Amino acid sequence: MRPVGAPVVEPLLSVRGLNISWFSQQGRRNHVVNEVSFDLASGETLGIAGESGSGKSTLARALLGHARGGSRIESGSILLGGRDLVSLAPKALAALRGRDVAMVPQNPLSSLTFHLRVGAQVEEVLRHRAGLSPKAASLRSLELLTEMGLSEPEKIAQRYPHQLSGGQRQRVVLACALACDPALLVLDEPTTALDKTTEAQVLELIQRLRRARRGAMVLVTHDLNVIAEICHRVMVMQHGKVVEEGPVQQVFGAPSQPYTRLLLGSALRVDGASEAQPGRHGSTLLEGAGLGFSYARPSLLLRRASTTTPTLTDINFSLGRGEVLGVIGESGSGKTTLGGLVTGFLAPERGVLRFDGAALAGRAAARSIEHRRRIQMVFQDPLSSLNPRRRVGDQVARPMRLFHGLDKRKAEARTVQLFEEMGLNADLLTRFPRQLSGGQQQRVAIARAFAAEPDLLVCDEITSALDASVQAQLLDQLGAMQRRAGTALLLITHDLTVIWRMASRVIVMRSGRILEQGETNAVFRTPSNPYTAALLDAATRATRVAEPAFAGV
Amino acid sequence: MISLILRRGALSLATLFLLATFIFFATEVLPGDALDVSLSADEVAMMPPEVLARRKAELGLDRPILERYLGFLGGLLKFDLGRTIITRAPVADIVAMPLRNSMALAAVTLLLALPVALGIAMAAAQAKGRGLDNAVSGAAIIGYSIPEFVTGLLLIAVFAVWWPIFPATITASTDDPLSVLLAAAPLAVITTIIGSIAYLGRILRVGMIEVMASDFVERLHLSGIPRWRILLVHALPAAVIPGLSAAALYAASLVSGIVVVEMVFAYPGIGAELVRAVTRREVHVVQAIALAAAICVVSFNLLADLGISALDPRTRDA
Amino acid sequence: MKALFRNPACLIGVLLVVLHLVVAIGAPWVAPYAPTSLLDAPLEPPSATYWLGTDDLGRDAFSRLLWGGRVAMLVAFAAGIIAVVGGAVLGLSAAFMRGAFDDCMLRLVEMKLAVPTILFVAIFVTGFGQSIPILILAIGIIQMMGVIRTTRAAGIVLMEQGYVRAAQLNGESGPKIILRELLPNVADLMAVEFALRASSALLLVSALSFLGLGISPPTPDWGLMVEDAMALLDSEPHLVLAPALAISTLVLGINLAAEGLAEAMGLDAARGGASG
Repeated sequence: MRPVGAPVVEPLLSVRGLNISWFSQQGRRNHVVNEVSFDLASGETLGIAGESGSGKSTLARALLGHARGGSRIESGSILLGGRDLVSLAPKALAALRGRDVAMVPQNPLSSLTFHLRVGAQVEEVLRHRAGLSPKAASLRSLELLTEMGLSEPEKIAQRYPHQLSGGQRQRVVLACALACDPALLVLDEPTTALDKTTEAQVLELIQRLRRARRGAMVLVTHDLNVIAEICHRVMVMQHGKVVEEGPVQQVFGAPSQPYTRLLLGSALRVDGASEAQPGRHGSTLLEGAGLGFSYARPSLLLRRASTTTPTLTDINFSLGRGEVLGVIGESGSGKTTLGGLVTGFLAPERGVLRFDGAALAGRAAARSIEHRRRIQMVFQDPLSSLNPRRRVGDQVARPMRLFHGLDKRKAEARTVQLFEEMGLNADLLTRFPRQLSGGQQQRVAIARAFAAEPDLLVCDEITSALDASVQAQLLDQLGAMQRRAGTALLLITHDLTVIWRMASRVIVMRSGRILEQGETNAVFRTPSNPYTAALLDAATRATRVAEPAFAGV
Repeated sequence: MISLILRRGALSLATLFLLATFIFFATEVLPGDALDVSLSADEVAMMPPEVLARRKAELGLDRPILERYLGFLGGLLKFDLGRTIITRAPVADIVAMPLRNSMALAAVTLLLALPVALGIAMAAAQAKGRGLDNAVSGAAIIGYSIPEFVTGLLLIAVFAVWWPIFPATITASTDDPLSVLLAAAPLAVITTIIGSIAYLGRILRVGMIEVMASDFVERLHLSGIPRWRILLVHALPAAVIPGLSAAALYAASLVSGIVVVEMVFAYPGIGAELVRAVTRREVHVVQAIALAAAICVVSFNLLADLGISALDPRTRDA
Repeated sequence: MKALFRNPACLIGVLLVVLHLVVAIGAPWVAPYAPTSLLDAPLEPPSATYWLGTDDLGRDAFSRLLWGGRVAMLVAFAAGIIAVVGGAVLGLSAAFMRGAFDDCMLRLVEMKLAVPTILFVAIFVTGFGQSIPILILAIGIIQMMGVIRTTRAAGIVLMEQGYVRAAQLNGESGPKIILRELLPNVADLMAVEFALRASSALLLVSALSFLGLGISPPTPDWGLMVEDAMALLDSEPHLVLAPALAISTLVLGINLAAEGLAEAMGLDAARGGASG
């Protein structure tokens, strides 16, 4: 099957019937890449999309003839420029790597040697792979760093990896990979570690490189928006198998497979009205006025100077009874700190929090038992939010006994009821957390929060660790539960789709400040802040790619 | 960097101060006083009261505890460690040369064991999970399960009794030059080295395996950088860092081991002094040996810390 | 449990420990002679009557070998319990409270790293006299420092977990959080620590006995037996080698079992391992 629009020449890369297995400690075999075949021509860019566990990263490494310890390429062929990487001797493979095919790894910080200056690391590839003299390598490395869009390359070259910003590190890693101008460049989640503004810049750089170079690119990512921005073709993977493959506009515009539709469903599409119910504009439940917080502490001799983590400055907001308020921001925006202030994990340094008309003490320990009961929290990582050594039913029952003084029998009955409301079978009550799936764990955590019968539930990135299919279901159940109980939600997330689906109002945060807030519909349609506009642009590429006006590839 | 040295130095001093306090109160205050514990009950009972009182006054034991503690600390600042209870000889004179000999043994052990352990760990990490690695892991666990005195006696049995190529015990005396002393004690050095390699090699192997599985090694591997270069230029310095912290953690155990090995080989170090002092309840000598050993260990830890920060730029900026 | 027995090294370790325990417990019934009675001429060679001959005082060496681990094992067991229970309570409390208490614990641990264990026990023996309870206490305390270090580190990781935060936000009391949320999750670690601490206590107590600072004669003890027979290494090597082999196999058995246990539980024995 030759995709439409691909040039009819001998492909640069040709993968046929590739099977890769992982072997667990107990020797169980696990197919992570299953009968994968595709072609790639020079000048083409292929996006490989999939969730974690889809086998996309294993496939990416296989394109360099590499299988990580514990895994093995079982069968199939990977022809690069006519040579089969699967059967090539280690020596011949090493000669090929870096020169004919290079990889940009996922995490630029850990992928650079921490005890060497970055300039030396770029030079190393030039000297040992491109065969340049030390002098030529040093000159060429500065050129490369400049080409990667780093101003002051001399200064950057003298730094250690940890002294660079995420974007700078990604550019250094790109420079290493491009040092020998490889025919095929494999990028593994190249922007996942970056914030949206930096991501846009790095994507722009990758675009520019793609146009300037003759070679082909394979870009592996879970983010459909990145693929929409960069790639000609897309290959969707699930459980090691190719689900769908074709030109990006065709696949994203008219997906033929249910799984592709599901993935695209979790991408943001701002048309029609926000699906969220308008908030009940009843009385105010929670109000923050002039909140400020900073992690910086004076450095005493005996303590390590603590690093200054995001500070909150002048945060003002309010939340009505039963309302869903979204807080959107990237890592480092202070959104989690804000959640910490509301739940009482942290105490504000400045400003006041008022809950139901009364001042709210800083730390949870200082709050009244009623306040503690009425404000509950659900955490990001479902597994770590449950005690692995206690049965999930007991953990859900605990708040009922603590706050409502229910006896064992009554608490058990109420737990069964909560489990049913969250779509969990009562059989699961006596299980331990590890015996549940991620989605089930998170539903148990939500049930535990509702067991206290709270008026306000703070949810911090509760879907980010879950698969797309599970995410949608979880949000539906949370919404139903919240409407039934009339609980207000403070929904903290980086995922605009979650906000669009759930929140009637939204706060946009960056660097510890509120950039804008308002009705979700209004903010998402006509953002008043350029940062919000950039976030929205980045999040909607996948759904806009099929539109004629899309200015992508 | 300077502030790091100052901070670490201040912490080390604080640790030593706490230790000195602990040593003083544990040995001198709780159950009786220094004279009571250094003489047997019979001797005390037989001693005329006025003689006992005079001896106590000489030793300053009639003063209140706090005053004696301050006197002890003041003495430490002037490097005055007091005198022995029975012979009234200055403690510093008794302890100085044996301490020198023991520290020489420790230094030679670490200098030889650390590179060997690193080499073994690298070879084992290369063969992770295969024959050589399993052999190394097995040898390491056997090596550190055998008490030092057993290792020492086995070496004597083999290399001094059945196949007499080395002397069983040492003939050199306390004041001989270090070169003479160490040359006379090959089996003692080998014994301490075997234990050290087993301990350090085990930890370094884990560190090396971790480094070899790290993202930067994979990136270099996938860039076609030659394997020897990845190992020597990238992985080795990264593995020396945990090696140094392991050596710092190990320093105290090494001293314990050396005390025992010295007794096996009659090596004239602090081991014999310590055993003699404890059995005779020479409180000041025990104090002096404990403090001196602690100072050596703390200084070594400080050096290891500084070595780590020289190798790891991340710790310099922290 | 099954994972323990899939690892042959671990299985050997468990068998060695069990063998030693059976012998130590059964010694009074199994040993042909009383370990302290003077039976015959000194230094009789091994024979059908005296399987390992007699020692320099004419006591049956084989009977002494069977008896020789009892006191050391008791000391190691008791010291291991003190170390693990005390260390876990202090380490988890430090992780829970942080602040000044945590700083104190860190200083304590740091102090331990500066004092060689043999010297630490020597200080105790000098100050408090040489007796089994003092030995147990001193070894227990010094081993406790390592347990404080590892359980504190584990506790700090646990404090970041959602379930601990949830309990804190709900206002559960400190002791409840430590007992219900933290302690059960370091049980694996404590089991491994106990094995490692016991093995290192065993090494320590036999070394002390060898030096004459540990278990006192006439109690039969492997360390003492090695020390007694050391001068006879060339003429009666079995008197040295038998007790030496006994100590080594017991410590090796515990270490192999601990390693297997750690591996089965996903912990790293070499990293958290006891140091001297």
